[in-house]
Amino acid sequence: MAFWFILVALGLLALLLVILPLRGAAEPLADRRDGAMAIYSDQLREVEGEARRGVISADEARGATLEIKQRMLALNRSQVGPDYNAAAGGRKTLVLVAVLVPVLAGGIYFSLGSPGTESLAFADRQDEQADAAEVDNLTARLEQRLMDDPQGGPSEGWVLLGRTYMRMGRFEDAANAFATLAGREDVTADILSQYAEALISLENGVVTPRASQVIDRARELDPRNPAGVFYKAVALDQQGKSEAAHALLIARLNAAGALQPWMEIFVDQANRIGMTLGKSMVELASFAPEVSAPASGPSAAEVVAASDMSESDRAAFVRSMVERLATRLETEPGDLDGWLRLANAYGVLGETEKSRNAFLRARDLAADLSAEDPRVSAIAAGIAKAGGE
Amino acid sequence: MIPEIGQFALALALVLALVQSVLPIVGAARGNKLWMQSAWATSLGLVLFVGTAFAALIRSFIVSDFTVANVAENSNSLQPLFFKIAAAWGSHEGSLVLWVLILTIFGLSVSLFGTNIPAALRARTLSVQAWIVVGFLSFLLLTSNPFDRLIPPPADGSDLNPLLQDIGIIIHPPLLYLGYVGFSIVFSFAVAALIEGRVDEAWARWVRPWTLAAWTSLTAGIALGSWWAYYELGWGGWWFWDPVENVSFMPWLLGTALLHSAIVTEKRGAFKSWTILLAILTFSLSLLGTFIVRSGILTSVHAFAVDPARGIYMLGLLAIAIGGSLALYAWRAPDMEGGGLFAPISREAGLLINNILLTVATGIVLFGTLYPLFLEAVTGDKISVGAPFFNAGFIPVMLPLVLLTGIGPFLSWKRADLMGVGQRLKAIAVVSTLIALGIWYLTTGGPALAILALGIAVWLLLTTLKEWGLRIKLFKAPFAESLRRLRSLPRASHGMTLAHAGLAIAMFGFIGSSAWKTEQIVFVTPGVSVSIAGFDVTFEGTQRVQGPNYVADRGTLTVTRDGAPVTTMYPERRFYPVTRTGTTESAIRETLAGDLYATISVPASDGAAERAWTLRILYEPLVSFIWIGATMLLLGGLMSLSDRRLRVGAPRRKARAPANATPAE
Repeated sequence: MAFWFILVALGLLALLLVILPLRGAAEPLADRRDGAMAIYSDQLREVEGEARRGVISADEARGATLEIKQRMLALNRSQVGPDYNAAAGGRKTLVLVAVLVPVLAGGIYFSLGSPGTESLAFADRQDEQADAAEVDNLTARLEQRLMDDPQGGPSEGWVLLGRTYMRMGRFEDAANAFATLAGREDVTADILSQYAEALISLENGVVTPRASQVIDRARELDPRNPAGVFYKAVALDQQGKSEAAHALLIARLNAAGALQPWMEIFVDQANRIGMTLGKSMVELASFAPEVSAPASGPSAAEVVAASDMSESDRAAFVRSMVERLATRLETEPGDLDGWLRLANAYGVLGETEKSRNAFLRARDLAADLSAEDPRVSAIAAGIAKAGGE
Repeated sequence: MIPEIGQFALALALVLALVQSVLPIVGAARGNKLWMQSAWATSLGLVLFVGTAFAALIRSFIVSDFTVANVAENSNSLQPLFFKIAAAWGSHEGSLVLWVLILTIFGLSVSLFGTNIPAALRARTLSVQAWIVVGFLSFLLLTSNPFDRLIPPPADGSDLNPLLQDIGIIIHPPLLYLGYVGFSIVFSFAVAALIEGRVDEAWARWVRPWTLAAWTSLTAGIALGSWWAYYELGWGGWWFWDPVENVSFMPWLLGTALLHSAIVTEKRGAFKSWTILLAILTFSLSLLGTFIVRSGILTSVHAFAVDPARGIYMLGLLAIAIGGSLALYAWRAPDMEGGGLFAPISREAGLLINNILLTVATGIVLFGTLYPLFLEAVTGDKISVGAPFFNAGFIPVMLPLVLLTGIGPFLSWKRADLMGVGQRLKAIAVVSTLIALGIWYLTTGGPALAILALGIAVWLLLTTLKEWGLRIKLFKAPFAESLRRLRSLPRASHGMTLAHAGLAIAMFGFIGSSAWKTEQIVFVTPGVSVSIAGFDVTFEGTQRVQGPNYVADRGTLTVTRDGAPVTTMYPERRFYPVTRTGTTESAIRETLAGDLYATISVPASDGAAERAWTLRILYEPLVSFIWIGATMLLLGGLMSLSDRRLRVGAPRRKARAPANATPAE
């Protein structure tokens, strides 16, 4: 309410400022001739003074005086401009303009701003900071538990740890977590591409030789893994092999057969690279004629693409991703990892209640897991964080 | 809520600027008093609303409101309050808000203090100024919105570039902007005069205080920037011929020419064309500077081409402002009345050479700055044009100019007696040559250019003092009379003396610290000593120090001279965890004779012994003279600005200006 009040007050102030001259200004406007004449007389006095003090010779003084007096004469002879002090009128125009000022400004503001969005000082976010500290604490405990495990800790635990670090933006820690898995027998293309993603994020989007190796390994395990293909294309593009990158993306799109969530990002990326190559644009529809199988959660590629978006786009993107996941889980309620992802996503979006519900669903599914499973503790922690039972 | 109010205020300012772009100038053409008078209210509104937006932005930074994207990207909750506030203009968007704020403040100042300026000229000038405001506000709102929101906010911000977390860099941009933007009002005056079709002696007088104010601020801005580079970058240099520096230096060079050219227009009615053109070009270079720094084209032409929205928009503004004003100039300038005649040897001729040399020097800097950009755009090769090019091109142009600066004030208007001047300056020429030769002897075969330059600097200092002495008849008349003359001398005259002497003194610093700098780079472990310029510097070791948002390794250096203790120095190597970058905090022992400058960094090579640090230690003779000279230039500008004559014709209180004296003839 106060916000709208201030907005209106500012708008009115602007309006009043424009019509202020209507109040009838008492002071007459300075005329060019008066001002210039004052300056010339001053110059004359100055020349006199300099001559008296002996800074310039009498001859020089005479010349200068003559010149200034000529200027004065010329000024007197010059055409007189319009007498502004006599002129009036234009009052209606001024009022009309004044009224338009707040209207136009409102138009500009409503098309650019986010009216009603509250500000949030850092000091007022202690709850959130406490939550973050709690998550930090839980993550650290999970990591400690995994490290202390004589068998090296279950792979799912490390994956969860790596993903958590990724979400927290701690790319180095995430990369370390995934690195633990890289040497294991049960490593998958999916894990390796997440590892690559962590490495690339760590270098602000630059594909290092190490990341490149990891991508290649992921592609050996599963050449069709979308995230692997995506990062391979990024790597190729950065090496200057844009043609190959483009071809790779298009080939994977052609092989998709049906609409997959990652395809949109592929199409965007292909077009971005294609533009520098002068290739024609491709359309998502040409690769996925009919909408089929509902999507799984956001792929690594999508997450990366999201980081290129503007903030509002990204928020919308994340929401649409979460909604897609929620819809899918309605039809496949047995997907424990899906529920965990959804719960975490809601947590990130600040929707505590929904997050709690998703954790409760996950707990039902996790009932017969061993107590050692990191998911069990993650669920318990999540429920606690979301306000308990 | 606060950020949204800030954004609405910006929108209001944009619309008000649109109103001010049209009403006053149309009013001036049609003789509508009401419309002309609307300019002062709208210019007040512009300051109010842009000021509100800036305050809203600063508030968001103070409370670390990370729902504002700009705050999240350029600030961190751990930053000291001072730097949180400064981050408001450390960011691209915030610095543009400041740019526009200063632009509007200049507009309001003309409304408030320009009461001696004819109403029509003032109305037109304010409209032209509003065009610039419209250009920049729309740029701000459409491509660089400082109030873009970020929901949900990140846990913490990503911190301001640590290099910018320094007191010098906090004051530097506002002052530099005062200069850059200050020339906008001179530009507006020039364009208004072209539209009005009238450039005369009075016009030059009306514009002078604004030129002086802009020039003085720009001088202060450049000097502070250079001082910052010296203290913070840890190289021990004060000027790098870096493009960012060059773009601020070019308006200064042309602005200096403009300042002098306007004097001729004011005194003799000559050089009208020069003055107008210089006014247009000086601001054009300020715009170019803003474009080069703000578009990101410097980091890489390639990066610019990938995300060109900002750059293209600003390039468009640039094309309109520069192209439009030059076209107007080409159309209207030929109609300007010629001014007073002068002989080939006269003060006018001297100032003409001054204009030409400064313009040529600007051209050289412009070429050196833009050539690498063009080359990269065309061929993709990245080259850098560094000090050797500028030293070879710039210094040979400037030295004759400095020589001339010494003579100029002795020349009289219209027709000067060169022989007479020669007589007066003979002694000084001999003394300067002797000093140069003496230094040559002392340094035995030191760099010839430096010795020559030093001689010329001495020449400038002595001729400036001599000219001042002549004016007050120092030692030629009783002391009391000299004092009386001193008091009656116009302030602008003192200003000139201060500025010219300041240039000479700054030159001592430029030359001394460039030509006779000594440097040692060594690996040191605790206990190791280095000898430099007669000092023995012993490295005692380092210790860990915790700062508010950084950790530092602080080295301890004990400095002795012939066994006697001189001082202890504490250079630091700081690390800012949030941005993962390190900075070098140099330790400097300053004396008039020269600075001892030390920095430490961890050794780059693995071969060095464990716990060994790279100690870089420099001795820079006379470097303090740069800051002293720059201060004198600044004071000279301020002194001239306070000259009574600049306010002639201003109504005192409510009374009108005294009725003019009509010439007797």
